Amino acid sequence: MRTSVRNIKGRLKSALRFFGWDFSTFVHGYNHPVETTTTPNRLSRRLILSVALGVLFFVAIAMIPAEFFAWLWSRMNVFATVFLGIFVEAVPYLILGTLASGLVEVFLDRDQMSKWVSGRPAAAAVSGAFMGMIFPVCECGVVPLTRRLFHKGLPLSAGISFLLAAPVLNPIVVFSTAAAFGWGQMLAWRFGLSLVIAVVTGLIFSVEKEAGNVLRPALSLHDHEHVHADVNDSFFEKIRKALLITVDEFFEMGRYLIFGSVLAAALQTFIPQSLLLSVGSGPILSVLVMLALAVLLSVCSTVDSFIALGFVGTFSFGSVLSFLVFGPMVDIKSVMMYLQVFKRRAVFYIVAIPFMMSLLSGLLFNYLSP
Amino acid sequence: MPQRMYRSFQGLLLLGLCIFFASKAASGQLTWYINARFVPLTLFGIVMLAVLAQIIFSEIKRSRQRAQDGEHDHGHAPASSNLWFMLVPLLIGILIPARPLDSSAFATKGFNTNAPLVSADSSALLFETDSEEHNVLDWIKLFNYEEDVTQFVGQKASVIGFVFFNEDLSENQFFVSRFVVSCCAADGFAIAMAAEWDEAAALQQDSWVLVKGSIEAITINDRRVPMIVAESVQEVPVPNQPYLFP
Repeated sequence: MRTSVRNIKGRLKSALRFFGWDFSTFVHGYNHPVETTTTPNRLSRRLILSVALGVLFFVAIAMIPAEFFAWLWSRMNVFATVFLGIFVEAVPYLILGTLASGLVEVFLDRDQMSKWVSGRPAAAAVSGAFMGMIFPVCECGVVPLTRRLFHKGLPLSAGISFLLAAPVLNPIVVFSTAAAFGWGQMLAWRFGLSLVIAVVTGLIFSVEKEAGNVLRPALSLHDHEHVHADVNDSFFEKIRKALLITVDEFFEMGRYLIFGSVLAAALQTFIPQSLLLSVGSGPILSVLVMLALAVLLSVCSTVDSFIALGFVGTFSFGSVLSFLVFGPMVDIKSVMMYLQVFKRRAVFYIVAIPFMMSLLSGLLFNYLSP
Repeated sequence: MPQRMYRSFQGLLLLGLCIFFASKAASGQLTWYINARFVPLTLFGIVMLAVLAQIIFSEIKRSRQRAQDGEHDHGHAPASSNLWFMLVPLLIGILIPARPLDSSAFATKGFNTNAPLVSADSSALLFETDSEEHNVLDWIKLFNYEEDVTQFVGQKASVIGFVFFNEDLSENQFFVSRFVVSCCAADGFAIAMAAEWDEAAALQQDSWVLVKGSIEAITINDRRVPMIVAESVQEVPVPNQPYLFP
């Protein structure tokens, strides 16, 4: 029994390898050498298994009523439209982020970085949070850029607070939030809270002195980088190299964007939003629902305030605020991209600390100013 | 996968994405996916994709030159699965026929006959325009923000939307619906305005109609909402921008 389970596992793996990706590729981003073991005995067993599976498949299909397929097909249309919506919206921002990363790689050297950024964790975390004002990126673009800045020697605390704050604390988002809510309380609290959460999370990470415990070994950035920047390159040569890096990173990060968008679109296609909204009353549940919605919708931070506006009537100030603070830090596609840069434990903290703090501030608002 | 082959696929995929986006832009279908406000950003994306594809193709040429000069190419390409992922949006875009969100999305996205979704001051502007120029969203805003809705009763209205039948309404009534999209189709939600017409039963679910008539106020789920008493209902093609942008 146990051996057959192992066989099926192996078969699944080899089938996946046939399509060019196995799980280790997905996690590590590079290929292990593939070892194949095929004996005649196994081959005949494989034949029997695949025939049996094929028959089972057709029987199963024949048993499903035709209406199900019609239903599934109409769902597929919704899925495709929602997926392409997220993807088309995100691609320009991803290009901008990877372009910024490419330019940082060729034009910024490590010495300059250490000159600019303080070594003290607190100062580094605060300055990291405000770096978004110089690099106006949203949550798709910030991930490759942060990784590149780490590679250039940015301290952990500064990088983490940049990662979390930049999607909100940047000129584009300031104006889009003001356009939706006016220059008032919502704007002030959104930026204040995002700043606090980002700096606190950055400081917590500064306890970890060894960056290697937090960051994934950036394979593509060291030995395997096939584009090498050189100080003596001409300006155009530098631009050319920056664009090559842009392409490589666009593909590397793009897969996580695509994976996250597929997931978000699938959840939206099959989970009724009204279900979420109908449980969303009460001071605690309403905050939780808005946080869940922030993750589920996975929209870009540059426009999420217009979406939040739609909830103002139904939800309290605190709940909408927690949506605006948490959404840019954590959503399905950004978590997928975080997993590419950080170790899993670190991703857990990057998600959990902002979650707890957004929840807490939402609750405080709901109870103190009903 | 050898380095140069990897680069070739990269270039082709970039070009593929570029052409896919450009064809959507050319056919006007971009607004089926995103708010018209972000179309310039996508156009920038299309240009950048073309530039990046060009950079890759020239890089392939250079590496071929280097190979001819006898230089060794340090070939270690990243995982090829990076490439196959980029095929996903292309395949979804090509294999599943494009269709703007319609009533089949109501099951998960829901629909509203009242929409508290815009900053309060925006309904004031509506008084300056002619009532026949108001779209479904405008009417719902007006009924949502104004205390006294009887002032609108009897006003002339002319709205476009797709037909949706629902058990909240009687047999000679139907909803004229539109999706409202602030960012992209992912945040789209439907709004609907009731309409009354003797031949309503002849209409097809999801067909686009132009409804002309006068406004009446009715109550659905304890809320005062607008209803249009139709003088004429005319089938129209899907408008260039199927969604409304608040």
